[in-house]
Amino acid sequence: MMTTQDIIRALNETFELKAEVLRGNQIRVSMHKKQVAPVLLYLKNQWGFIHLDHVSCVDWIEENVFELVYIVYRPQDQLTVLVKTKIHREHPEMENMEGFWPHMRTYQREIREMFGIEFPGFEAPREFILEGWEEIPPMRRDFDTRGYVKRTYTTRPGREDAWSVREYITRRTGEKLPDFARKYSRD
Amino acid sequence: MIMKTTSERNKQTTLFIGPQHPGITGNMMVKLLVEGDTVVRAETHIGYLHRAFEKLIEQRNWLQSFTLLCRFCVPEPDPMELTYARAVEAIEGREVPPRAKYIRTIVAELARIQSFLLWYGGQAGSAGLYTLGQWTVGDRNYILDLFEDLTGARIYHMYIWPGGVRRDLPKGWADKTRRVLDYLEKRLDDYNRLLFDNAVFQKRAQGVGIIPKDKALEWGVTGPPLKGTGIGNDVRKDEPYCAYGELDFDIPVYEGGDVWARALVRRDEIKQSIRIIRQALDKMPGGSYYNRIPNPMKWRLPAGEAWVKTESVRGEIGFYVVSDGTEKPRRVHLRGAAYTHGISVLEKILPGQNIADVSFILNSLGACPPEMER
Amino acid sequence: MSETKDIRIITRPTKEQIRQAQIDFAPRCTAAGRVNDKETQKMVQYILNFARKHSLFLLAYGTGCGAIEIPATLTSRYDAERLGIRGAATPRQADVLMITGYLSTKTLKRVIRVYEQMQDPKYVVAFGSCTINGGMYFDSYNTIKALDRYIPVDVYIAGCMPRPEAVLKGFAKLQELIQNGNAGNGECYRKNLDWYRANQQKVIKNWDFPDEYNW
Repeated sequence: MMTTQDIIRALNETFELKAEVLRGNQIRVSMHKKQVAPVLLYLKNQWGFIHLDHVSCVDWIEENVFELVYIVYRPQDQLTVLVKTKIHREHPEMENMEGFWPHMRTYQREIREMFGIEFPGFEAPREFILEGWEEIPPMRRDFDTRGYVKRTYTTRPGREDAWSVREYITRRTGEKLPDFARKYSRD
Repeated sequence: MIMKTTSERNKQTTLFIGPQHPGITGNMMVKLLVEGDTVVRAETHIGYLHRAFEKLIEQRNWLQSFTLLCRFCVPEPDPMELTYARAVEAIEGREVPPRAKYIRTIVAELARIQSFLLWYGGQAGSAGLYTLGQWTVGDRNYILDLFEDLTGARIYHMYIWPGGVRRDLPKGWADKTRRVLDYLEKRLDDYNRLLFDNAVFQKRAQGVGIIPKDKALEWGVTGPPLKGTGIGNDVRKDEPYCAYGELDFDIPVYEGGDVWARALVRRDEIKQSIRIIRQALDKMPGGSYYNRIPNPMKWRLPAGEAWVKTESVRGEIGFYVVSDGTEKPRRVHLRGAAYTHGISVLEKILPGQNIADVSFILNSLGACPPEMER
Repeated sequence: MSETKDIRIITRPTKEQIRQAQIDFAPRCTAAGRVNDKETQKMVQYILNFARKHSLFLLAYGTGCGAIEIPATLTSRYDAERLGIRGAATPRQADVLMITGYLSTKTLKRVIRVYEQMQDPKYVVAFGSCTINGGMYFDSYNTIKALDRYIPVDVYIAGCMPRPEAVLKGFAKLQELIQNGNAGNGECYRKNLDWYRANQQKVIKNWDFPDEYNW
């Protein structure tokens, strides 16, 4: 019967990290991107975290980083570890971990297409969800989806009175938004 | 004189079980390399239903995004709303009143039953047994009537939102639900006789599309396909949420890993769902049904993140929600249950099967393309 | 709330502007343009239309969300089969193409191909508000916003998504249009092919159709 404290102690001692409890049975640990593959293998082979739950990516454009999150799960004691790392936004690269789990391939294909993160050595067809896409990877925060829609698609007239939500809120309540939210606001 | 060898005579051809096909669940393509009647290699192509939900959600505030979420998985929209609501409540630390928890449990289980009734139609239809689909989809309308009384819409309810549920149970709804459940329980025997006692289905389903037990967890298999291999992991029992911790139910587990075991698992899960709903209706507490959120236009969550899992109809779904302190989400990322089933698991178990079984196996894995590509 | 009133006056266009924009936007092939009186129609045409409207074969293609209400419409409670509606497996055997909801650009390419493969007379029924003006995905980079720019549409059924009763009412309207000879835009599509192709190529980036229309 393993608890979160056992895992935290093991990670902190073996890899010199600062793991902490996120909520309930979930542990969160941040590290440099070179440590991600050894930590995932260690958790998978020695501590029984054989189930890869999810791989996600968050675009923190203000700090100029992408944050990758790998979520692994141990079925026997219902423990979850969120392995997080930050990589640079210009020329983003991450290690190719295709051999660890078979569905890691699907996640890597999607992240490569949606965010533009390269995985050196990863061979798979480039097009996964989008077809003939010529702009920047669409999930990045600096991709303006409404501008793209205005340029490419013709809309039926009559929707012109759909107001911008943020403008409506600020006019009605008179509240100020934080600076970074206003700078990268898309409307 | 050059004699052709047998290997040159058996050429391999490419076959597209394409987006327009009566046997495909939804709108996806499976590209097969076949030799005679046997599949040699399979590739899944998705992207036909991509709506860029996650980009749209970043432009709407926390409450507006919940209207988009039901459309993630079209046959069963309620688990999506439920998981998003739980994630937002986890980030904010908001408590849900007990009555709302019980109502959420009932809605989730009703969604499970109606989705399994639709699945019956697809699974039997791909084997050539068309009568069962007519019966089950016709009976499913009774459950959709219950939803209409409760929430106002048949398919996309938009009923479970952060803080509780939108409105209370109407008068007489509990009795109506009990009558529908009694009727469905009697009909389950008819479905058994039509499908599971049918020699055609037995011969076709046993030994087909096997997922090995020792690799199932590593391949990311969850839900009814996992319970069909003999491993009984279920989020409702392992990490209980809503009212499942206080209710009494079993998890059906069958050995074998083939289409037959998965069909038996789903049949028994309908019975367990009926049992859960009856208990929840009897034990329903009073009190408020909604922990009121502040003005949705001004509602800001503290910065943080949450990873929340629930047991949906097809497997485990999870929402990874990141908040940056403003009134719009930074990132809402769905992990659909069919994301692993439909792509990597399918490509591993299809080689060696007949072409006619491709649609059969796809139905039994429960591949739902809108969930895969959002 | 005088502030709210200011917003309404400044950003909303006038009625004349909306009407002019709608005239500019008008699609090429609609049912409203043609008038066919029942009395002047020939008897043969009347019988043919009567037969066509009572045996509509739907193509088995669930292109979007709305496909979830099709099994409910075709089975016992709402029973579209009593109107003669049943499913067909391939485009060559189908009469009606149902666009059930939004279309991503990847699906639009396949839908155009399927539409061109169907034999005349062929009808298109568009479900949901996503085909009318983009629906709730109005700012998505991957879905199309107005369907009749790309293929001609006969009947729109509003809703998100339409109930089976609404679907049956839409099919009743289609039957009425067929009887009066106002449905079936395959001929008009071929005549205005350049206009349709220009719109389609603007949206579909990896265009690989043959140059001549040869279906």
